[in-house]
Amino acid sequence: MRIPHLLRLFFVSCIFLLVDFSLSVAQEDLSKSWFNLHRVNMLIFLVFFFAVIIYFIERAKRGKSLFIRRIAGLDAIEEAVGRATEMGKPVLFISGIEDVDQIQTVAAMIILGNVAKMVAGYDTPLLVPICQPFVVPVAEERVKEGYASAGKPEAYNRDNVRYISSEQFAYAAGVNGIMLRERPAANLMFGSFYAESLVMAETGFSTGAIQVAGTANIHQLPFFVVACDYTIIGEELFATSAYLSKEPKLLGSLKGSDLVKAIIIGFLTLGAVLETFGITHFTRWFFIE
Amino acid sequence: MRREIPIAICLLAGLSFILEYFIPHRQVLSIFETIRQWSIIVIAFAYVLGLSNLVRVNFHVIQKKQRDWLYKIILVLGVFFTLIVGIIPYFGGIQEGTIFDWIYYYAQYPLQATMFSLLAFFIASAAFRAFRIRTFQASLLAITAVLVMIGRVPVGEKLWPGFPDFIEWIMNVPQLAGKRAIMIGAALGAISTALKVLTGLERTYLGGD
Amino acid sequence: MDLLTIIGNTLALILTLCIFSFLYKDNPFYKFAEHLVVGVSAGYFAVLIYFTGFIPKVWDPVTKKNEWWYILPAILGIMTWTRFLKKWSWISRFSIAFYMGIAVGVSMPLDMQGRVIRQLSATMLPVHLMNLQGIWNLLIVLGVLCGLVYFFFSLEHKGVVGGAASVGIWILMIGFGAGFGLTVMGRVSLLADRIQFMREWYLMVIKGVTGG
Repeated sequence: MRIPHLLRLFFVSCIFLLVDFSLSVAQEDLSKSWFNLHRVNMLIFLVFFFAVIIYFIERAKRGKSLFIRRIAGLDAIEEAVGRATEMGKPVLFISGIEDVDQIQTVAAMIILGNVAKMVAGYDTPLLVPICQPFVVPVAEERVKEGYASAGKPEAYNRDNVRYISSEQFAYAAGVNGIMLRERPAANLMFGSFYAESLVMAETGFSTGAIQVAGTANIHQLPFFVVACDYTIIGEELFATSAYLSKEPKLLGSLKGSDLVKAIIIGFLTLGAVLETFGITHFTRWFFIE
Repeated sequence: MRREIPIAICLLAGLSFILEYFIPHRQVLSIFETIRQWSIIVIAFAYVLGLSNLVRVNFHVIQKKQRDWLYKIILVLGVFFTLIVGIIPYFGGIQEGTIFDWIYYYAQYPLQATMFSLLAFFIASAAFRAFRIRTFQASLLAITAVLVMIGRVPVGEKLWPGFPDFIEWIMNVPQLAGKRAIMIGAALGAISTALKVLTGLERTYLGGD
Repeated sequence: MDLLTIIGNTLALILTLCIFSFLYKDNPFYKFAEHLVVGVSAGYFAVLIYFTGFIPKVWDPVTKKNEWWYILPAILGIMTWTRFLKKWSWISRFSIAFYMGIAVGVSMPLDMQGRVIRQLSATMLPVHLMNLQGIWNLLIVLGVLCGLVYFFFSLEHKGVVGGAASVGIWILMIGFGAGFGLTVMGRVSLLADRIQFMREWYLMVIKGVTGG
C-alpha cells in the first residue's frame, strides 16, 4: 500500500507537534504519574527504530536481496583460524569480561559458534577461557553446536571451555597462562573489554600469535589497534556477528541500522544548519530528561 | 515448548523493562526494582556453574597428571580454602579482621594490583611498536599519541607554551567526533541485536536443543 | 606492629615480585602466583556473591521477614543447575531468558538515550567560519558525519562514500591516539603505586626489625 507524500508529511508533522507539546507540558509530581511526557521523543525514536529493523528483517525473509559490503574483519578471522590450522596449534577465543546480558557478549557468542564450525573440520583445538559464570553454559553450547554442524561432534572437548575467574586481572592472568603455555597460533578477542585488554593483547603479541580483536568499548580500542593484527571497531562487531550467522533475516537488521544512520546524518546536518541561524527549537526535540 | 516459552519469558521481561523507562510512578518503579534484584539472585546461583566448571577442568588435569598439574592443585586449593573460610561461620565470615579479609588484603589484592600495574610496561612496549607501524592510519594514531603524551607532562609546556591548549583541542574536537561516531554506531548495532534477542530471532544465548 | 601484619606484608611482597617476574619470562614463580590468584579470586567472588546476593536477597527475606516470594528467583537460580543434567538442561533456559530479558529491556532505552540521542543533540552545533569555535564545531559535525559513514554496511566504500569513510577512519585513528596518549600516565601511576608498596614494606619490616 502506497501512502501519498502529503499524508506522510502530515503524519510526520503530527509526530513533531506531539513531541513539541509533550516537552512543553509541566509534570509536577512525576512519582505519581503513569507516563513521563518528557520522554515521548524517546518513545518515538525507539518505536521508529524497532519498526525499521523489523521491516528490513521481514523484507529479507521474503527473499528480497540485500546488499551488504564485505566486512574486512571476517577475512581476518578466517585467516587467523587458517594459520592456526596450518601450524597445528590451538585457536584461543576470548569473549570479554562481561556477562551474557551484555549484548557485546551475545555478539561474541555468535562469532564463537562460527569459529567452532571453522576449526572443527581440522582437529584444531579451540580454547575458550570465560570470565563470567553465565557465559559458561552458553559458550559450551555454541562450541558443541559448531562442532556438530561441521559433522564432527566427537571432536568437541568440554574441558576446553574454561571458567577462569570473575575478577578481571585474575582472568587476565589465567588467559596469559594459556597464551604462554598452550601457545595458540590465533587469538580472537571479541566482546566487552576493559583495562585487561592490553595485558592479554600484548602477551598474545609476544607469543607471536595472529590476533584479531573486536569491541565496542571505545577506551580499549586504541590498545587493540596497536597490539592486534586486525581490529573490528564498534558497530562492526555486531555487523560481523550478523554476517557470520549467514541468515538473511539477521542481515536485514544491518540494512535497517544503516537507514537509521542516514536519518541521523540528516537530522544532524539540519540541526547544525538551524543552530547556525539561531533556530534552537529543533535541537530541543532531542533533549531527554 | 522448550524454546518458545523461554523466548516468551525474554520478550515479556524485556518489554516490561522498556516500559519501565517511561513510567515514573513510584510504586511501579519499586516493583521493577524488586524484579531487577531477582536477576541478581539468579546470577548468584549461576556462580555454581562457573565454579563447578573451574574445579572439573582442573581436576581432570590433576587426575591425568597433565602439564602443570601441581599448579592446578594450588588453584583448586585456593578456591576451596577461600570458600571454606568465607562461608563457614566458624571462621568469622567476611568481616574485617577475619581470615577471609586477611587473604584478600595480603594475597588477592597485591596479586591483582600487580597484574594491573604490569600495564605500565605493556603500554610502553605497545607505544614503542606503534611508532614503527608504517601505514598512514597507524601514523595518525602514533603521532597523536606522542603529542598527547608530551602535552600532558610539564616538559610539553616548556617546549611550547601552547601545547596544553593544543592537547585540549585534540581532545575536544577530533577525539570527541570520533568517539561520538563510534558510540552512535555501536549503540545502534547493540540495540538492533538486542531487539533480535527480544523477538527470538537471535537465540544464541539459549544454546542448542 | 604484630607478627601477622609482618607475615601478611611479606607474603604480599613475595607475590608482587612473583607477578613482576613475568616481565623476564614465564617461570615457576609466576605460574604459582597466577594459579593462586585465579583460585583465590574465583573463591572470593563466590563468597562475596553468597553474602551480597543470596543471604540478604533470599535467605533473610524468606526466613526473617516471611517474604516468601523471594523463593521464586531462588527457584529460577536453582533451575540454572539443570545444566548438570543432560536430559533436563533445557530448563536452565528459563532462567537465562529471564535474566536476558531484563538486561536487554533495561539497556535498550538507556543506550538509545545516552549513546544515540544525547550524542546527536550534543553534535547539533552552530557552525560559523567567522570565529574559531564555529570552525571547530564544523570539524566536529563533519567528523561525526564521516565517522558514521564509515559504519555504513549497505554501501560500498567507493567514490564520495569511500572518501567520507576514509576521513571517518582517520578521525577515529586520531581519537584512538589521543585515548592511548591519555592513558599512559595513568598506567605509570599504577606501577608507582606498587613500587611505593615495596618501599613501605622495606621501611616497615626491615627497618622495623633492625630498628634502623
